[in-house]
Amino acid sequence: MTAVIETQQLTKSYGPHRGIVDVDLSVNEGEAFGFLGPNGAGKTTTIRTLLDHIRPTSGRATIFGIVTTDDPVAIHRRLGYLPGEFTLYEKLTGGQTIEYFANLRGGVDAGYQADLIARLDIDPSRKFREYSKGNKQKVGLVIALQHRPDLLMLDEPTSGLDPLVQQEFYSIIREAKAEGRTIFMSSHILSEVEKTCDRVAIIRDGRLVRVDRVEALRDMAHHTVELRFVDEVPAAAFESLPGVSDVKAEDHVLRMRVSGAMTPVVRAAAQYELADFVSREPSLEETFLAEYGSQPQATEAQS
Amino acid sequence: MTAPAIQVSRPSPLSRAFGLGSVFGKTLRDSRRSTIIVGLAVGLLILAVSAGIVSQFGTAEARDEIGNIVDAVPPIMQGLAGKPVNVETLGGYLQYKYGGFLPLVIGLWSILALSGTLAAESRRGSLDILLAAPISRRRVAWEKVLGHVLMVALAMTIIGTATAIAGSSLASLPGDAISGGAAFGFAAWLGLMALVAGSVAFVLAPFVGRGSAAGIAGGIMLAGFLLNGYQTAIPELAPFANLTWFGWTADHIPLANQFDWASLAIVALVTVVLLIAGVEAFVRRDVGAGTALPGPRLPDFMLGLRGPLGRASSERFPTGLAWGVGLGLFGLVIASSGQSFIEQIGDSPTFEQALATLFPGIDMGTIGGFLQLVFVEFGLVLAGLAAAGLVGGWVSDERSGRMEMLLPTPVARSRWPFSGGIAVFAAIGVLVAVTAAGLAIGAASAGGEVWTPVLGTAAIGLYAAALAGVGMAIGGVVRPALAAPAVIAITLVTWLIDLVGGDLGIPDAIHALALSSHMGQPMVGVWDPVGIVACLALAIGGLGLGVWGFARRDLRG
Repeated sequence: MTAVIETQQLTKSYGPHRGIVDVDLSVNEGEAFGFLGPNGAGKTTTIRTLLDHIRPTSGRATIFGIVTTDDPVAIHRRLGYLPGEFTLYEKLTGGQTIEYFANLRGGVDAGYQADLIARLDIDPSRKFREYSKGNKQKVGLVIALQHRPDLLMLDEPTSGLDPLVQQEFYSIIREAKAEGRTIFMSSHILSEVEKTCDRVAIIRDGRLVRVDRVEALRDMAHHTVELRFVDEVPAAAFESLPGVSDVKAEDHVLRMRVSGAMTPVVRAAAQYELADFVSREPSLEETFLAEYGSQPQATEAQS
Repeated sequence: MTAPAIQVSRPSPLSRAFGLGSVFGKTLRDSRRSTIIVGLAVGLLILAVSAGIVSQFGTAEARDEIGNIVDAVPPIMQGLAGKPVNVETLGGYLQYKYGGFLPLVIGLWSILALSGTLAAESRRGSLDILLAAPISRRRVAWEKVLGHVLMVALAMTIIGTATAIAGSSLASLPGDAISGGAAFGFAAWLGLMALVAGSVAFVLAPFVGRGSAAGIAGGIMLAGFLLNGYQTAIPELAPFANLTWFGWTADHIPLANQFDWASLAIVALVTVVLLIAGVEAFVRRDVGAGTALPGPRLPDFMLGLRGPLGRASSERFPTGLAWGVGLGLFGLVIASSGQSFIEQIGDSPTFEQALATLFPGIDMGTIGGFLQLVFVEFGLVLAGLAAAGLVGGWVSDERSGRMEMLLPTPVARSRWPFSGGIAVFAAIGVLVAVTAAGLAIGAASAGGEVWTPVLGTAAIGLYAAALAGVGMAIGGVVRPALAAPAVIAITLVTWLIDLVGGDLGIPDAIHALALSSHMGQPMVGVWDPVGIVACLALAIGGLGLGVWGFARRDLRG
């Protein structure tokens, strides 16, 4: 597979302040890549470095095989970008704003542009300053999408969007992916990444702590298991089992976290009169919290 | 990979040249109003003033009288006016009286435009999207710069044309005619003086941000103007004056048919070098990366975290202090050179007589008298601009969106603008105190009486408070975005009325509407009660009206 984005030990410092440190990343053509991390982790710094808005302190990055600092214009010709925070020209209408950026690019498919405006339910006749936060975000999305870029770089794209428009956005992203475009999307909303992305990278304190497939991350996480017995059961019978932790007993119910194979738990439970067995697949959010909460020094697992 | 486009839009050549088809076209489009305003306002001013001059001084004898008056003014008093060359002619008089301040006004336009063209976009975040378009940073920067240069050239063309028309159609005496070359030389000089000031702001903006860049460039421009103006009075200033573009072009007096084209070439060269440096700085630096200027950091106990008044005071005091330091230094320089003025008055009985006629019963041959003649007029303008800055801070709670967070706290809605207004007045108090300290040091060093000019500084504070009151009334009742611009407009229009009122033959009744005409002669201890009452009424009434308006209208962004 061809890598569209590649970084090697990409580092950006702001004087004494940490930006990102030794970020090694590879995003393949046609994949939707989620970039997760809490506020201030380095998501926006990474994206702005990739765009050549800010220059790396060390390391390097390539997009479409072009070093980002060598020929950013050639890269920008093929990408669409939505910043995390922005405001545009207050005196222009939404339609004029979209038109301006279409003109700067040239060759925008007017039909697709109109389609996006309709699907995202934008009133293009209103002045930009009159828009709500969500409507400004929609205008930004049209600007990023209207020229059908090969690479979409979206920094927290659904920020401020209402649930209906969010669904439309996911739909547009799925279509873009189906057409073979690459999507690089930062977010701290895990369900959004879960819905749209193939792979996910987690960044914390400026360093990548994990890069993996969404499913793999989920598989690697703990399952939450709830066992409801007919009679009271000693918790000690489960505490020593491999992969089992946080066993809590409440009346006839035992709750525990299980990592890895479920077989030992099932075997141990079969020793008693079992009324119910619930194993809940972890959400990415729980995986994420586990990664950040209980394992602060998690090792890198890159793929 | 990309799906085929069906109906592809392309910008028209017209929209690329003027419109939304390119960065250059949008720059022209965005600055069309300011260009027309600057060009037409200055052009019409020149036409009107010229008509006034030839009407008021319609005979050769009257023109000779102008020459005699200018000759009688001691060199130290010529100060901010330019070199008097051929002042008996229409062009010479125009250049002498108005050639000094026009570069300041037009320079301010260029500073605001070039400091903000990239930095303001960076601050609001639109630059991040713009630079993600397939256009190089260098091209974006040059398109914006060239757009501004073209619009300055257009405005100067209007001004040059108006000057040439005035010189050809209004000339009434021999020597009045202004040639096309002289009009061009005047317009080219004005344009370059504006652009060099703007280019200083442009080169600084990538490093220090828009506000600081504009402030520094404005300060350099003003310092150059003052150094050049006072180098005759204070010869020690001459070496510094020659470092400024005002000093370089001091011998280029085109409307008096005295040309120094080489000096314009130097200004043009410096402008180009600064613009190239600014573009390259923008290309090489991180977008949005600024370097905060080192400044005094308020100790924690002065941050005013206990309530609205403390917080607002903490926000406004640095502005009052900065303007006070500027005004105080200006006053210090003027006051300390006052002894030379007293000596020169003794050498010029004609001028002494003129002063006695203009100010009967008042001894103007003192340090206070000199301050009254040279410092107060410009001091009031600076105080007005300071008031605009403070009012801009007063409305910033609402304009920045902070008020959305402040209003839900259990504090009465009206307390926020009221506390903010009190803080504005307190900051003006700081401005007055620091200015007074500067005047006191200057007057003492010149061996003059100290307390009268120190008390007179209060008049500048009253004037600033009155304008701040007007601004707060407009911001509270009408729209917060209008508050500071309205104060700036009132300040400049008032100054303009003072400056051109005589030549335009403006009736006394209209001139009397200008608050500055009711301030008396405070530096020599003469106060005008009408002015004091009017200032207090505008300050207190304006704040009251502003609070009332804010409490009743919708919150605005």
